[in-house]
Amino acid sequence: MKNRSILRCTLLAIAAPLAILAAPVHAQDVLKIGVNGVMSGEAASWGLVNKYCAETTADVYNAKGGVDIGGKKYKIEIVALDDKNDPKLSVSNAEKLTSEGIKYIIGPNIDTTALAVKPVVERAKAMNFPYAFAKELYSPPANASVLGMVASYQVGPIMYDYLKTKKGVKSIAFLARNESDSKNQQQEGVEAAKKLGLTITADKDTYEPGTKDFMPVLTKIIKTKPDAIVLSGVAPADAPLLNKAARDLGFKGSLSTETAQDSKILAQVAGAKANGFLSVGGASTPEIQSDAMKAYIEAYKKRVGEWNDEAGTKVYALELIIAVLQKNPAAINDVEVFKKEMETFSMVNPFVKDGKTKLEFTGKADFGRRSQVGVPLVVNEFQDKDFKTLFVGTIKN
Amino acid sequence: MLQVLINGALLGAVYALIALGLTMVFSIMRVVNFAHGQMYMLGGFVVYYLYGQYGLPFYLALPAAGIVLGLIGVAFNRFFFQPVLATSTREENSMLMAVGTALLLENLALTLFGEKQRGVPEVVEGIFIWGDVAEGGVVLTYSNMLVMGVAVLAIVALLGFVQYTRPGRALRAVAQDKEAACLQGVDVKTTTTLGFAIGAALAGIAGGLLVTIYGVNAGVGSNISTKAFIMVMIGGAGVTKGAILGGLLLGFAEAIGYDIFPGSVTYLIIFVAMIIFLLFKPNGMFGKPWG
Amino acid sequence: MNSLKKRDIYVSFSVLAIMLVLPLFIGQSRYLLSVLMNCAGLSVIALGVWLIFSIGRGYIGQAGFALIGGYTTGILLTRYNLSYWVVLPLSALSAAFFGALIGSFILKLRGIYFSMLTISLTEAIRLAFLNGGSFTQGSKGITGLPQPFSGDSPLPMYYLGLALLAFALLLIWRVHYSRVGRIFRAMRLNEDLAESFGTDVWRYRVMAFAIACGLGGLGGSYFTVFIQSVYPQSFTVEHSIYYMLYCFLGGLEYVSGAIVGAFVLTILFELLREFQQYQTLIYGVLMISVILLLPNGLMALGSSKSEGSKKALPPIGGADTTPGKADAKPMIGRSS
Repeated sequence: MKNRSILRCTLLAIAAPLAILAAPVHAQDVLKIGVNGVMSGEAASWGLVNKYCAETTADVYNAKGGVDIGGKKYKIEIVALDDKNDPKLSVSNAEKLTSEGIKYIIGPNIDTTALAVKPVVERAKAMNFPYAFAKELYSPPANASVLGMVASYQVGPIMYDYLKTKKGVKSIAFLARNESDSKNQQQEGVEAAKKLGLTITADKDTYEPGTKDFMPVLTKIIKTKPDAIVLSGVAPADAPLLNKAARDLGFKGSLSTETAQDSKILAQVAGAKANGFLSVGGASTPEIQSDAMKAYIEAYKKRVGEWNDEAGTKVYALELIIAVLQKNPAAINDVEVFKKEMETFSMVNPFVKDGKTKLEFTGKADFGRRSQVGVPLVVNEFQDKDFKTLFVGTIKN
Repeated sequence: MLQVLINGALLGAVYALIALGLTMVFSIMRVVNFAHGQMYMLGGFVVYYLYGQYGLPFYLALPAAGIVLGLIGVAFNRFFFQPVLATSTREENSMLMAVGTALLLENLALTLFGEKQRGVPEVVEGIFIWGDVAEGGVVLTYSNMLVMGVAVLAIVALLGFVQYTRPGRALRAVAQDKEAACLQGVDVKTTTTLGFAIGAALAGIAGGLLVTIYGVNAGVGSNISTKAFIMVMIGGAGVTKGAILGGLLLGFAEAIGYDIFPGSVTYLIIFVAMIIFLLFKPNGMFGKPWG
Repeated sequence: MNSLKKRDIYVSFSVLAIMLVLPLFIGQSRYLLSVLMNCAGLSVIALGVWLIFSIGRGYIGQAGFALIGGYTTGILLTRYNLSYWVVLPLSALSAAFFGALIGSFILKLRGIYFSMLTISLTEAIRLAFLNGGSFTQGSKGITGLPQPFSGDSPLPMYYLGLALLAFALLLIWRVHYSRVGRIFRAMRLNEDLAESFGTDVWRYRVMAFAIACGLGGLGGSYFTVFIQSVYPQSFTVEHSIYYMLYCFLGGLEYVSGAIVGAFVLTILFELLREFQQYQTLIYGVLMISVILLLPNGLMALGSSKSEGSKKALPPIGGADTTPGKADAKPMIGRSS
């Protein structure tokens, strides 16, 4: 008697949750967009900002009754899943999202998770918009991923050139977080700097994720006497402390990075010691903000409580997806249509003030095909608690 | 080299403070507080809000961190650990409970405080400079000196408390032999609660102190916990001088290691060295056998 | 056969049987199958941890050996182009080998020192792979690994997972409900006493550890081809802790406890996805509640034997031997 009930219980225990999991949720006029990324732990801000940006875009459209695609009004629903920076979870997230019929997924944020997810997305005939820079995600034969922002190796050479010509930098050192993304960026940076004829004083130094005291590792680098230190792939949480420690140790040269940063925590943690720090910006720097961007920032603040400058680079993905869908509604269920549209698609960048900058798919120069969102290439300098736009360019196609 | 040694001393003092909290809890309750790192993190957030956001003076915010964490320690002890220790058949269950509390605190913090890195204005501005660091000179910020000073003060205060006050002696008695202490009239239950509260408070104070130079975010807990384990293993679990020694050793090892070796090799060497050390001294330098 | 063992048999058998036929009902959903594959792999790894618990050690280092298995797989597949069917057992064996090697040194530690050391061991192994130069490709990891089955269907991988689960279950079962298992139990209850009766404790400890690590490597290899890549952070301290939690939650008295824990927690994880970022918070709360209310694990639910009594432990393997008798004569008598 008892054993049969055990059998029943076990059966129920496995079957019931699976039944709940498997129950599909289909609604008529809903456009479901997936977000897959790291939303907890040290790198939480990367994935969370993806989620918040997508949700804010959805808020803005849904407040107007939905987004108009092909004559029908769609309510945008964001399905966001945390992969905790674990490729295994990324894969099962991607499986879950695609099994719900979702064709467009934003993220993941890191090379390891993005690469793990690539075969899943390809098999499910979906597309994703990662924020990871590994070239194998975007170069042929890959065709299911679109890079959502400017890659470090695209902006690096431009930044080093600026340092060389405008700041007289002759020698440069690189410090990377000991992680595959950052170390790749370090390698790319070293090559780019060599091409420009700069002397490399340190090219392999790393720090462990989770380090808070940067004096030991920076002491070592400063001893090599570089004119500039590049913080390859630095996470927004580490940058303020690195700046602070470098300045405390008496470093007078330039500090820069090729990732997006958050001005609020730079101001809070490093204050004036972060002045002069160069980083990559999006569309949120005050000089180039359009009214639509300002409205977006307000909507973001309403949803999340405070603005995060990192979101400046992540605001584009969903907007662009929707714009392409609006141009050719067949793409809602067929990514091949979307991919064809990518070749020729062009729109006015709604977030930049001048109303003339184009937003297109780019990336031919680096990947051999148009597989990148052509966001403006903005380099910021931190001054007095905020970012000042240093210069704006576009990625070569 | 002098800069490296100063870095080491700073890290050592702070690590020793962290290790003391962990070893205190262990000595009283024979439980490894897996949530020690998360308590450190919460202390940081208390100071972030009180001192950084609401403008309370630092010398009030820091003890507040200690008090808040002490209260959390009391609550955890009363609602989570005492019941488990009383009913379970295996001693590992308390370790499991500790892990559960660690998960709870970490994610509570992430939910309440968000994922961003936070920092506070410096308590003291200014910096000592001798020569140029690139040439082997030395730099010491006033903030770092303050942190080092307060850490040492806290350690001395704790040692004094444990050595010379009545509750302190009760703590030592319970750590040494619970039954004998009970026979001597020590209120074991209250003393145990006090021990856990002090351990948690120490973590909170360490966090609140370090937020002034390192900032804090919801994810720093597990890293701190791992380091605390290393220190306690090397020094010996449950022994105060072991914790201090462990803290100092790790601090210097880290500072010197980062100077000589690239990045992560430092900790690899530290781990391997620790494993080899433990083979010869399985209970750490001063620890007593367990299990 | 006592009721504990009977319950163990029923649950083990049920899980395997259900897994066997489930694809008939849910074969369409890649997602559901991938969840179950996850459960199967985690169960294999957790069974190793369970075995170490049965010799009286809290083991929080299994992730390191899963990583060893994973990297062995990655390196052998990419550098030497061996077939996966050769690589899989080799991965398990290499993990077992390193387990025996490392274990022979660290197993003399006990209690909390052993547990804390194994946490550091996980980290040390991760760092070793991170700094392995071009052999392990450091932080880049080894990617683009071929899957052992061609074609699109997830079913072959699913059944491979099930096969590995069955293998691991049978292995641990055979060890636990045998003479060796009784020796382990004697060692768990009182190592010095067992030694004084002539048991070569050191040999059995290392053997248990090697088997446990071998299972870790087996699971690690499976996951590595599942996601077709391996990185130093593929298996971390957090994973080690989870494996331990699966065993606890399921119940340390039952072999199937490791499996039950792995399945329940993993499926729970998936269900809680609806709550997204509060997921791990609720998870932590659930953990604590379960520990307070079910300190002997899920499997002990409804069983009168192991509840309440503080020191008595239910007999394993022999129906009518009392704990005292089992201790005194670990070598005499065959298991039932």
